[in-house]
Amino acid sequence: MTDLSTHQPTETAPVKAAPPAPSPGPSRLVAARRFVVPPVVAAVLGLAIWQLIIEIFALPVYLLPGPADVWAALTTDAGPILAAAKVTMQEALLGFGLAALSGFAAALVMARWNIAERGLYPYLVLLQTVPIVAIAPLFVVWFGAGITTNALVAAMIAVFPIAANTLQGLKSTDRNLVQLYRMAGAPERVQLFSLRVPAALPQILTGLRIASGASVIGAIVGEFVAGIGGGEGGLGYVITLNATQLRTPELFVAVLMASAVSLILFAIVATIEGQLLKRWHESALPTEE
Amino acid sequence: MVSTPAPAPGVAPPGTTDQAAALIEFRQVQKTYSNGFQAVTPFDLSVGAGEIVSLVGPSGCGKTTVIRMAAGLSSVSGGELVRRTDQLAYVFQDPTLLAWRNVRSNVELVAKLKGVDKATRAAAATAAIEMVGLGAFEKSLPRQLSGGMKMRVSLARAITSAPELMMMDEPFAALDEFTRENMQNQLLRLWRANGFGAMFITHSISEAVNLGHRIVVMAARPGRIARIIDSPSPPTKDDAPRDKAALADTAELVSSLLAGDK
Ligand SMILES: Nc1ncnc2c1ncn2[C@@H]1O[C@H](COP(=O)(O)OP(=O)(O)OP(=O)(O)O)[C@@H](O)[C@H]1O
Ligand SMILES: [Mg+2]
Repeated sequence: MTDLSTHQPTETAPVKAAPPAPSPGPSRLVAARRFVVPPVVAAVLGLAIWQLIIEIFALPVYLLPGPADVWAALTTDAGPILAAAKVTMQEALLGFGLAALSGFAAALVMARWNIAERGLYPYLVLLQTVPIVAIAPLFVVWFGAGITTNALVAAMIAVFPIAANTLQGLKSTDRNLVQLYRMAGAPERVQLFSLRVPAALPQILTGLRIASGASVIGAIVGEFVAGIGGGEGGLGYVITLNATQLRTPELFVAVLMASAVSLILFAIVATIEGQLLKRWHESALPTEE
Repeated sequence: MVSTPAPAPGVAPPGTTDQAAALIEFRQVQKTYSNGFQAVTPFDLSVGAGEIVSLVGPSGCGKTTVIRMAAGLSSVSGGELVRRTDQLAYVFQDPTLLAWRNVRSNVELVAKLKGVDKATRAAAATAAIEMVGLGAFEKSLPRQLSGGMKMRVSLARAITSAPELMMMDEPFAALDEFTRENMQNQLLRLWRANGFGAMFITHSISEAVNLGHRIVVMAARPGRIARIIDSPSPPTKDDAPRDKAALADTAELVSSLLAGDK
């Protein structure tokens, strides 16, 4: 019986929210090795095969540049390409922010009023099905070629995953918790913000994560269509320009930069997600504890 | 917050139910779900202030339906349901805690939603947390607690809203035997200190007999009361020793009533 004594009502033994023990150095190193070494090896191998193919088939640079050519293009063009990446990043961030605000607001309204969901949701889906390449020129007509248009295109494809995931989360709150709030006489508004929004946090963040990648694609598509006329094009503009001139190494660099922009945005969201869920909603994380 | 086990004034002696003072009265109450299913046929029961009524019965006999109607979570399709208090607490089978709030914040939640002022609910929560033995865990998150501890948080939350009537739907069903007995003792301690009336659903005959002043044995198809048994040795405010033999006989009786119902 003694080992069961922790169940006694008088227990005081604090198993206590122990401060998260810093994971011991060695095991962390091992983990880092397990997750860093394989991709690095794969990358080195990939680069080697890439260079080998060029050597074997004697491919011209305009068809397939080697890793060295791409590196050269990157270092000589670093200034302009970084400037273009910055433009794209700005547009994507702007579009992402816009999509996050409007998507979240739309989901709140739809979760709160059933009629709003029935009225709005079909159009949200429709928005998702509209071919973005076809809509972008229209935006150029309305807003001119530039950051505004490209950010709007980005927002347009980023808004659906945010709204849909948030709504899904807001609607799947534990039934008993909802009843607990109702029985306590809490108004719908309190229930929404004190219960349903925090409970939906994991889904909201999933939506944001998906939207982060989508907004970069949107910004680049916008630049393809709209950016060409404008003076300061982003990566989409750089890609079109270099493609028409068969400057293939520069094209490669632009594509790499576009991926980098996506990754950065994704990393920002993932970091926020990790922090929020850890501090506030750790139960939502799969833990091996 | 009453914390002494002295008999609270105005609380009916266990085992007796003064009809006039009943907290809740079911008069020929029926429930037919919208799909036409008759879950509860004319049901008569009253629960007095400070009285614990256990409900046992086979799965699907309408126990949950009965207390959901009592709590106003489900409409009544026939008969009359009179409730003389608004001070209700509902304890679910699962702890039903907010995962992102710590123990204290969870315990204060319902009182806070009901608009109880900060100082009052903080004091009530402190007493309740102490009573369920979680004083050292106030700052812990639910995921850092065991199943039994989470259930105690749920009980403390219910108590903190100062209910006159507690509805409990198999609150300890998910717990192991030992923890379960422990929780029954906790609940009786809380009852001695706070004197609430309660409707307690359980699948465990020993639990029904240990907690109830009266034991309502239900039968299924259609959902109805088979027998209401007065406990020969009910829990008392002064925690007087119970007559184990008599309670064992009652358990036998309940068991045979349930076995007779097929
Ligand atoms: N919303 C509903 N619509 C239709 N029928 C329902 C509904 N809820 C419950 N029932 C039916 O009513 C009957 C009683 O259900 P209830 O949940 O009250 O049973 P119970 O006694 O609590 O069972 P258990 O011990 O398994 O929890 C069941 O046969 C169930 O199928
Ligand atoms: Mg039930």
